[in-house]
Amino acid sequence: MPTCTLLRTGLRDLVRRPLHTGLMVLGVALGVAVVVAIDLANAAARRGFERSAETVVGRATHQVLGGPAGVPQDLLLRIRTDVGLRASAPVVEDFAVALDLDRQPLRILGLDPLSEGPFRTPLTGASMADPRFARFFTEPKAALVASTLADRYGLHIGSPLRLRVRDRIETLEVVGLVHAEEPAEAAALEGLVLMDVGAAQRLFALGDRLTRLDLVAADAEAARVAALLPAGLRLAPASEQASTAGQLTEAFRLNLTALSLLALMVGGFLIYNTVMFSVVQRRVVIGTLRLLGATGGQVVALVLVETAAAAAVGAMFGLALGWVLAQGAVRLVTRTINDLYFVVAVAGAPLTPVAAAKGLLLGLGVGLLSALAPALEAARVEPVEAIRPSTLEGRARRLVPKVAAAGALLALLGAALLVLSARSLVLGFGGLFAIVLGLALAAPLATVASTALTAPAAGAVVGTLGRLAVRTVTRSVSRTGVAIAALAVAVSVTIGVSLMIGSFRSTVENWLELSLRADIFVAAPAAGGLRAIATLSPDVPARVAAVPGVADIETFRAARVSSPLGEVRLSVADPRRPRRTQLYRFAEGDPAAVWEKVREGAVIVSEPFAFRHRLPPTGGAVELLTDRGPRTFPVAGVFYDYATEHGLVLMARNVYERHWDDRGVSSLGVYVAPGRSVEQVTRDLRAALAGTALMVTPNRALRARALAIFDRTFAVTQALRLLAGVVAFIGVWSALVALQVERTRELATLEVLGLTPGQMWALTMLETGFMGAVAGMLSLPLGWLLAAILVHVINVRSFGWTMRLLAEPTVFAQALAVSVAAAMLASVYPVLRLRRRSLAAALRSE
Amino acid sequence: MAKIPLIRLECVSKDYTEGDETRHVLREASMQLMEGELVAIRGRSGSGKTTLLNLIAGIDAPTAGEVWVDGLSLGRLSSRERTLFRRKHVGFVFQFFNLIPTLTVLENVRLPAELGGRPREQASARARALLAEVGLAGREGSFPDRLSGGEQQRVGIARALVQEPRIVLADEPTGNLDDATGRSVLELLDRLTRGSGRTLVLATHSPQVAGLADRVLTIEDGRLVAIAPAERGAEG
Repeated sequence: MPTCTLLRTGLRDLVRRPLHTGLMVLGVALGVAVVVAIDLANAAARRGFERSAETVVGRATHQVLGGPAGVPQDLLLRIRTDVGLRASAPVVEDFAVALDLDRQPLRILGLDPLSEGPFRTPLTGASMADPRFARFFTEPKAALVASTLADRYGLHIGSPLRLRVRDRIETLEVVGLVHAEEPAEAAALEGLVLMDVGAAQRLFALGDRLTRLDLVAADAEAARVAALLPAGLRLAPASEQASTAGQLTEAFRLNLTALSLLALMVGGFLIYNTVMFSVVQRRVVIGTLRLLGATGGQVVALVLVETAAAAAVGAMFGLALGWVLAQGAVRLVTRTINDLYFVVAVAGAPLTPVAAAKGLLLGLGVGLLSALAPALEAARVEPVEAIRPSTLEGRARRLVPKVAAAGALLALLGAALLVLSARSLVLGFGGLFAIVLGLALAAPLATVASTALTAPAAGAVVGTLGRLAVRTVTRSVSRTGVAIAALAVAVSVTIGVSLMIGSFRSTVENWLELSLRADIFVAAPAAGGLRAIATLSPDVPARVAAVPGVADIETFRAARVSSPLGEVRLSVADPRRPRRTQLYRFAEGDPAAVWEKVREGAVIVSEPFAFRHRLPPTGGAVELLTDRGPRTFPVAGVFYDYATEHGLVLMARNVYERHWDDRGVSSLGVYVAPGRSVEQVTRDLRAALAGTALMVTPNRALRARALAIFDRTFAVTQALRLLAGVVAFIGVWSALVALQVERTRELATLEVLGLTPGQMWALTMLETGFMGAVAGMLSLPLGWLLAAILVHVINVRSFGWTMRLLAEPTVFAQALAVSVAAAMLASVYPVLRLRRRSLAAALRSE
Repeated sequence: MAKIPLIRLECVSKDYTEGDETRHVLREASMQLMEGELVAIRGRSGSGKTTLLNLIAGIDAPTAGEVWVDGLSLGRLSSRERTLFRRKHVGFVFQFFNLIPTLTVLENVRLPAELGGRPREQASARARALLAEVGLAGREGSFPDRLSGGEQQRVGIARALVQEPRIVLADEPTGNLDDATGRSVLELLDRLTRGSGRTLVLATHSPQVAGLADRVLTIEDGRLVAIAPAERGAEG
């Protein structure tokens, strides 16, 4: 361990060089902030879901679930009488959009207050004693809302609550307020509207059906209930719903975490650079300390303790900044989850002790890891070497090929991990990181090689200044190499993510073009993300078909059914309208014959479904729980589908109606008669359906809307990409500041020799432009590789989607330009700083 | 007709402020230096020798007074004009050589000529000739870290002369060399400057330099004092 005095030299050095210390603190702070922000946003969204699931599920141990048509309510009576289970409650659960409350989706929970005792707290509170509460039973439109929601929107008892319920607009009346016992519960309650179960049945036109039955049952009782259930119903543990939702967003959350870790990695480069700079600048001091008897180990410890001190401060700032960023990130994350997965109410993203500890440890860990190489370098400083500035860089240059070889090995290991890890997403990201880090380690070699190649040309074109610029970059390769690596990684992330998003977008556009065939679509807007299933009023298809100019309509039905694989999303299509054969990734036999098989009783499954459930390309089968009991359906093909990553089973309506009692229609496709204008028919349809909440959307607009959701989904990704870029920019900037400080005397000498301020700018711009160009050139293949891994490995493992990788040339050109421009921009401050200092003092500097 | 001095200092003072304290490095120093003169500036460490050279080169600005070189008042020039003035008129030789480590010997010497706008071929020819004169023919392609201290200072001298300046300022040019090497470097400097009519101002501790100089000035408590020839040895 270093002695007290030795430690004092290090810690005082941190105080005496605020710029250098500040950069180190900034590197850790930015990296930690990005990771903490994503961690907090993810945790908040997850907790928000868990809380709302707890509020909705309450203390139920089991649930009786049915098919698309739900659960018959008379089953409740049989459970109570035949099994003797009193702790059983009827539940209706669906979503509606609150038209006057910022159009937010609300979960409507229909409950029976008299059965609720053993289940949920909100309805068993003191409010039951309130005489006004009686209206809850008597009024068909009576609703209870959370007091926090009421406060926010100025609702009070008697206020109307306008809701879009499926394709209708309904107005409920607030008859009571529900108070949460704790803040976390308040957030969950806020998205909830409570109604009497009978009123909710009427609101959703369920007749005598329920969404489910909740039970508090011991194992023996549960077994007796299960035995009682008719075909098409099943008993599930209550925890299933929460865990399914957790799994739904797991890949989404993991992808965000991986991207945030990439930002931390770039932050690591920044720390390495500042520590290395500190070691180079203090070589005389370190040499003297060694002369005075400090061991190599003590010098290592000294550098690490210094770094740990700066990293700890940086991590603290990072936590604070991360918390601020998280408040923005949580909105983006929640919006995507609401768009794609389920409705989740999140009040904010509080900094939890676990997240804080994780952030601190990560900051310290990355700080110390990044400082290890410079610390070992410092330990190798011999007293005699201390007065020879070129020693360290000489050694660094000799190390360059070895570092590149180690990088190549790491990249190969990463590639092996990608290939061998088969389906694991975590190992996939591990492989990706190893490849990125491995190739980044080649940056110093690329820098040295580029110098050798470009120095003669630079000399020929710009003269000795050109040579000087290029060689200066190589001379400090231990620092410039890492700055170039950081910039290359950040730019390649930009390229990789841009290409991935671009390829994805183009694939989705193509897919929309192929799969959306009808001219106009009529649908009830989904209120609760893709989990919510809308049902049109029974008269809608006939009303639509009667509109002049409508040549034909096709019906769609979305349903969720049970299966041994878990809950399965079923898409029911019109058998008269075959899918286009280009949409089949795999087909059983002739693709043209697939639809014939579907009409006869087979199903086709989406690519994510096949991936998730490991179905073979051909010859597979899916067992589904139908209203007639479990049935097995042969799989005739696997089709491309980008609507949901959780997978779809597509079935013809004639087959569906054979196995299920549900006759509902979720949406309609309208074909316009030849010679009639789509715009006119759209207007006529809107007029015919006036007064309903139905949306009439022409094909083109629907495609545009789908792409808008797509773009929104990648908002967080884009933000993270930008943050990684900012961290890299600061990395290059700090490296340049460090280099200019180190070269103070050299640059002053040049000025004495006649270098004008303009030539000083030119020299620095040449140096940084060269660094930017090397980073940019390196980032092109790295970015392409990153995109290929994201598209062909990460996307497939995360979501089961395959797509073509499009190498858009403008992305590469932009990346190169950004890289050079960022590097050149980073030199502005160092040069200005240089211009401000006294030339005489600069000449005296060491 | 009286000769016009090449360098003239008029009541030049230079103060440095460190915190609340002001250090008076030069107090109302006045002097005149003629073309072709070799003047040695002596004084204790920190007495202001380097500051005086910096003021003559326009690297530093006086707190009060004026520095005239070849009829130009340096204080009235902009930063860029001072650079161009230096480029044309002043060669600098440093105690620690200040060679650019990433440039070869030839490139180091050629650089000021290139900055001055001389065509590359011409600049190279001039640099080669000077390197031959300082005894470094054949070392053109070496980098500075491959040279001994004496050799590095010879490169420094060649670099100072490549633009054929009228003034050469040398700050402790032998301060970092052993006696024998220092002597040979001094002789070289003397031969290449005074021999071709240049003005050489040397800041030094060395009594040998005093022996070579036409005049010796010393800085005592910030004041510039001329030393009579008889006193030079005793001062050393």
